[in-house]
Amino acid sequence: MDDRASAIATPAADTAHRIKIRVHDLHFHYKEFHALKGISMDIPEKQVTAIIGPSGCGKSTLLRIFNRIYAIYPGMEAKGKILVDGEDILDTRYSMNRLRSKIGMVFQKPVPFPMTIFENVAYGIRHHEKLSKANMANRVEEALHSAALWSEVKDKLKQNALSLSGGQQQRLCIARAIALKPEVLLLDEPTSALDPIATGRIEQLVEELKSQFTIVMVTHNMQQAARCSDQTAFMYLGELIEFEQTEKIFTKPDKKQTEDYITGRFG
Amino acid sequence: MSAQGLYTRRRITNAIAMTFGTAATVLGLFFLVWILWLTLINGISALHGSLFTKITAYGPQGGLANAIVGSLMMDLIALLICTPIGVMAGTWLAEYARLTRLGTVIRFLNDILLSAPSIVLGLFVYMIIVLPMSNMTHGAVSFSGFAGGVALALIGLPVIVRTTDEMLQLVPSTLREAALALGVPQWKLTMQILLRAASSGIVTGVLLALARLAGETAPLLFTAFGNNFMTAHPLDKMASVPVAIYQYTNDPDPTLHAIAWAGALVITLFVLALSLLTRLFFSRKKVSYG
Amino acid sequence: MQVTLTRQLVRDSERRAHLDARYDRIFRGVLKFCALLVLAALLGAALSTLWGGREVLFGQGLHFLTSDAWNPVKDDYGALSPIFGTLVTSLIAIVLAVPVSFGVAMFLTEIAPTWMRGPVSSAIELLAGIPSIIYGMWGLFVFVPFMSGIEPALSATLGRIPLIGKLFQGPPLGLGLLTAGIVLAVMILPFITSVMREVFQTVPTRLKESAYALSSTRWEVLWDIVLPYTRSAVIGGIILGLGRALGETMAVTFVLGNSYNITSSLLMPGTSISSSIANEFNEAVGVHRSALIALGFLLFVVTFIVLLIARLMLHQLARREGK
Repeated sequence: MDDRASAIATPAADTAHRIKIRVHDLHFHYKEFHALKGISMDIPEKQVTAIIGPSGCGKSTLLRIFNRIYAIYPGMEAKGKILVDGEDILDTRYSMNRLRSKIGMVFQKPVPFPMTIFENVAYGIRHHEKLSKANMANRVEEALHSAALWSEVKDKLKQNALSLSGGQQQRLCIARAIALKPEVLLLDEPTSALDPIATGRIEQLVEELKSQFTIVMVTHNMQQAARCSDQTAFMYLGELIEFEQTEKIFTKPDKKQTEDYITGRFG
Repeated sequence: MSAQGLYTRRRITNAIAMTFGTAATVLGLFFLVWILWLTLINGISALHGSLFTKITAYGPQGGLANAIVGSLMMDLIALLICTPIGVMAGTWLAEYARLTRLGTVIRFLNDILLSAPSIVLGLFVYMIIVLPMSNMTHGAVSFSGFAGGVALALIGLPVIVRTTDEMLQLVPSTLREAALALGVPQWKLTMQILLRAASSGIVTGVLLALARLAGETAPLLFTAFGNNFMTAHPLDKMASVPVAIYQYTNDPDPTLHAIAWAGALVITLFVLALSLLTRLFFSRKKVSYG
Repeated sequence: MQVTLTRQLVRDSERRAHLDARYDRIFRGVLKFCALLVLAALLGAALSTLWGGREVLFGQGLHFLTSDAWNPVKDDYGALSPIFGTLVTSLIAIVLAVPVSFGVAMFLTEIAPTWMRGPVSSAIELLAGIPSIIYGMWGLFVFVPFMSGIEPALSATLGRIPLIGKLFQGPPLGLGLLTAGIVLAVMILPFITSVMREVFQTVPTRLKESAYALSSTRWEVLWDIVLPYTRSAVIGGIILGLGRALGETMAVTFVLGNSYNITSSLLMPGTSISSSIANEFNEAVGVHRSALIALGFLLFVVTFIVLLIARLMLHQLARREGK
């Protein structure tokens, strides 16, 4: 099977990076609503890929298919292929455990679990690996370091996570996701509930994390996509309109719709 | 002129209605104060130390010690039965059957159980526990504290089912998604995260259930029966404060009436203290989530 | 080397996924079983009382439903008197409690200053928290003497009105259907009030504001806007109160007088299904006991139907709100 033959959107200049996720003719139905109409795209490894578009365009839906979190709600159906390292994750034989330890996700609103800060990070690990106490402590510390939160919480690991500020809670959620050592990190509008300073810190963190993870980020904030991402996909009404190097899409997009959206002349 | 007349009439109608509303409220509060005040006055004047130390076997010279112990015992049995079942049933409704037909039907029937006549629930327990036990043991065990506890559990069950269901529905769905995205299986998610997030609400439900079942009399009449002596054995006939009040009120002896009032005061204070505690939990709940 | 390690990891995670799936199935099964127990409780209550009362229900059939005899000596039982007492006391309770509840709900949503609403509605709810045995005691020791004081006056005034006058003639015993009905009314007042208050609050503010903008008075807003908007739920709340009244035992059993008769006067003593059961069950044997359980079955069926209707009507407003 040669996927190259079909018209897969690939950022033109990007041949230096291996393809991590290959989406092939993906359709998504919610009851009668046809939410995604034949999306095909290649997402390169260890890069930040941003997905932008007006609300309701299907960008969050697409992201939520990558770890099959949509499957917890009845009436939703995805057709097509999503190959992660060549294996189709939509195949029901692909184990959910493996999928979710391989692909981490951070949501719009920070959702710490009702436990201590330490437990929040340790909780997910414990489900996938049996670690000694010391190893677990190391692993949690490492994750909190990577999420740039360690210095702020190292003295209050036993406190309830709900006592943290919104920005700290979101970084805790990032720490929780990367503690599983995933290969891909999905960020669903991770800063939409945060103030500008907290947003800045998260964006900086994204920049740091891309050396280790393939990051796919949905955002409604175009400046954020321009600042943080290497390539950007623009979606509209369930279709992928354009997928390009970020620099190109924000300076000279090929499609009229993309240009209209980016320049704010939309409607 | 006629417009003026219309305005006046409308204003007067309004004034009458507002007066009526206020008067109705005053009437409602009047009954509350009347009942509580009488319970307090009559109860306090009969409240002696012997109420808590002597058993009903001494009659007018006795107290309610065995009834208090019996009540506590049966309330405990009831909670031990209806809390786990109610929490699990409520969890099923909220987490697995939120929009299914069976879920809707059970939620609906639970609301009916919530206001079903308690005396019939007593008859039910008489039929399924008291009679069979009596037949099996040739009358050695018939009415029992255990049967009373089961009857009270039927009163508390729908309260706990309902609050658990409601409290879990208040937990944001993002919390579920966040845990599932880590690969946590549903049962762990439910036990370790959702129930914890909803815990103060669920405790509220348990307290509400206790407040309701602690004052119940009718379901105990043919299940626990009553006992003039002290016992904590769940297979003995068991006294309870409400049933003791019922028996003493039916008695012509005014000394027993006084003891009944004292018992009424004790049980009313217990129930009202529970509802205060419930409010405390509830306001704390609002701070943490939602 | 790398490949075998990956394979090992894949196998591990698949094994775990299998285990998780199995635990999930078990967990789900246990929860569902508990939920079905709710169903079993209702079904069990109906079936067990049907079984316990079979001797009378099937043995005497219609006679049980149409006879007003209640004679343990001859083992002749008819349910008419207790049914009559249950219905009459519940109706009195509804007739008295509905307008008062409406007034209180009106006070709490439209009249009272905001600071007063919380405490007053908590106080009214407190009324619902008082155990029913306390209502019974209060009824017997306080309210019965009070009623026997005012009943002569009732007979002398209301008793003279043609047609309804008959209802208020009789000896001033204090005990009786009217007294029981009033005690029940106080008991169900908080239930009806809290349903009414809650549904009144669901009326969108813009709806009320647009009526006020047309210079409607508060009463007109309530009567013309709020009440029609919430009608089915208000009726549902009333029927819910009726369901409570029908099944209540302890509040009425002391004050009814416990006598099997059907009279035109509300001042006369009577009995009700629940108080007959409460008073006689522990002394009853054989057919007598079966007759009492059969009464319990009747009570359960009637309240079930009444509560079913109430919940369906309350459900309607909730569904409209959900949209």
